[in-house]
Amino acid sequence: MKRIWATYIKEWHLMRRDLGGLSLLFLMPVLLISIMALVQDAPFKDYKNRKFEALIFDQDQGKISQAIQKGLEESGQFTLIRQHQNQALDSMTILSEIKAGKYQLAIMIPKGVSSEIYNSANLIANEMGKHMGIPGSLPHREAREGINIQIVFDPVSKPAFRIAIVNALEKFTTRVQFDIIMDRISALSGQADTSKKLDIEKQLRSVGVKEMQLHQQSSGIEKSNSVQHNVPAWAIFGMFFMVIIISENMIAERKGGSWNRLKSIPGPFFHLLMGKMLFYVLLGCVQFALMVLVGVYAMPLLGLDALQLGQAALFLPFIVISIASCATAFGILVGTVFKTTSQALPVAAVSVVILSAIGGIWVPLEVLPDSLKVLSVLSPMRWSLEGINTLLLRQGSLSDLLMPVSVLMLLSAAAMWMAWYTERKQSGLV
Amino acid sequence: MIRVSGLYKKYDHAEFPSVDHLSFSFPEGCIAGLLGPNGAGKTTTISILSGLIKKYSGEVEVMGMDVKKHAEEIKGKLGIVPQQIALYLNLSCRENLRYYGRLYGIPPITLGPLIEQLLKRFGLQEHGDKQIRHYSGGMKRRANIIASLLNQPALLILDEPTAGVDVQSRNMILRFLKEYNEEGNSILYTSHLLDEAEALCQEVLIIDQGQGVIQGSPAKLIQEHQTDNLENLFLKLTGFRVRD
Repeated sequence: MKRIWATYIKEWHLMRRDLGGLSLLFLMPVLLISIMALVQDAPFKDYKNRKFEALIFDQDQGKISQAIQKGLEESGQFTLIRQHQNQALDSMTILSEIKAGKYQLAIMIPKGVSSEIYNSANLIANEMGKHMGIPGSLPHREAREGINIQIVFDPVSKPAFRIAIVNALEKFTTRVQFDIIMDRISALSGQADTSKKLDIEKQLRSVGVKEMQLHQQSSGIEKSNSVQHNVPAWAIFGMFFMVIIISENMIAERKGGSWNRLKSIPGPFFHLLMGKMLFYVLLGCVQFALMVLVGVYAMPLLGLDALQLGQAALFLPFIVISIASCATAFGILVGTVFKTTSQALPVAAVSVVILSAIGGIWVPLEVLPDSLKVLSVLSPMRWSLEGINTLLLRQGSLSDLLMPVSVLMLLSAAAMWMAWYTERKQSGLV
Repeated sequence: MIRVSGLYKKYDHAEFPSVDHLSFSFPEGCIAGLLGPNGAGKTTTISILSGLIKKYSGEVEVMGMDVKKHAEEIKGKLGIVPQQIALYLNLSCRENLRYYGRLYGIPPITLGPLIEQLLKRFGLQEHGDKQIRHYSGGMKRRANIIASLLNQPALLILDEPTAGVDVQSRNMILRFLKEYNEEGNSILYTSHLLDEAEALCQEVLIIDQGQGVIQGSPAKLIQEHQTDNLENLFLKLTGFRVRD
């Protein structure tokens, strides 16, 4: 135990003087989680909370197109721009403005939209009236095809943005059409007084679709947001930066001769590795705690939500110790296998990025190809994220941590065994 | 003190063995010199004697114990001064010595005074709290020796302890080695400075290409081979060809 403690103290003295290492372990992850939470905040926000500038070219100029524009403006999501340099917009100007990247989208309402919607509404009202035994019919003709409200997107727009805008417009257009159909039916049945109309829309909304929160307010987690997803994920990534520091230090020890001096001192060499491990595991825990504090207190200063820990956070030390053990063991393995920093550092850095990519840090595991999903089982970051999400997002219990903690400890043990075996092989013992 | 018989070591992927059926012995209580040109096998031999290399053939006994069977016991009585400055450059000299002392299991009550005594003996007491990276070459060499004396070894093995140091530091190191030997301890040392070895060693072994060339006291060898000094004898026996 004295040897383990002595090594712990030595590592502490070395680390407190290594400003580069300290900034890599603390400053870089703080920057990383702040920037990533900010960058990924937009996709997490409901599009209802955002406003878009949209060019509008109304060739229809009918009542319906006016209603659509009024509705779009009243929805609060769109600012409609009808003129360009005090001139009415036309399709050529719209296309050039979008191409130049000045606007993200344009809406073009072609001529005949109003008459087509009225005609469709009359057709539907007549058909329904016939079935209900209402005499008479509204003027109509055969429905035409191919009249569409067109949306033009900036080619740079992301697919998720396009889908959200198309859905919002389709929903609104359907509502306008629905209102007209109801007007037509009312007119057909002789109910001209709109105040007495049956508010069918309201009735239909009596059964809706609403997301139910898995955890009640009592759990402490109110809703999912960018901070809740990004701070733990990138804090895990930051913990694995330790691999670079540990491997670099071990190679410096070997090249400087301290390694051989240590081996010339009687006593199990494993004690020295354990002392090193103890120090870096505690350092990893401190690092994670700092990231959590940044999530709780610094994120609101950036205009983001605060990280919510909830009651399950009590179990965080179990998973955080496992993650730190795994990162440390991996660093010791890299530091043992490679002889020079020019070999070890690129391997350490690139392997951390690869493990994070297949571990679901960058993008959710669900969107990875099947082959990478299988491979992700080998990534300690997958199990790290699984464990943290179990606590911070799913509000899981201690028993829910059994799987990720066991896998992480198993991976740590495997890495330490490989380091020990490599060291013995290099010493000519096996 | 040391008895080696038929020692053979060839590294993986090496074309030739580093040590090729080497046999020698040094008596207890002497200052012995292991001399040879670059690549002669000196560092490999020292590494085997100190238990750092465990894959070899032949018999090696240090202080009457088989190195393979009693490696831990031997390590406790042995001090190794490697050619490199085997200290943590970002730690102070005292921090380095405290760390190595604790690894030897020396109780703090003994370790503190011992460190101060050694720092004083090597003229480093005032610089004990400076980080090693701020030391001059000579100070680093002296600190490197101190770290090997913490367990008060009965046998001190030094690999080129005076390489790259100034005259004053060199003088201090050599004076210390003589005193340490007079206290009843054995010393095995390697060096390329043959005038130094001639003055210091009671017994020398010259090796080349992993094989023993000659062994004996410097004065006797110089007389037998009718040369002026050890350096001329060395060149006579190992040749003038420059080694890689």
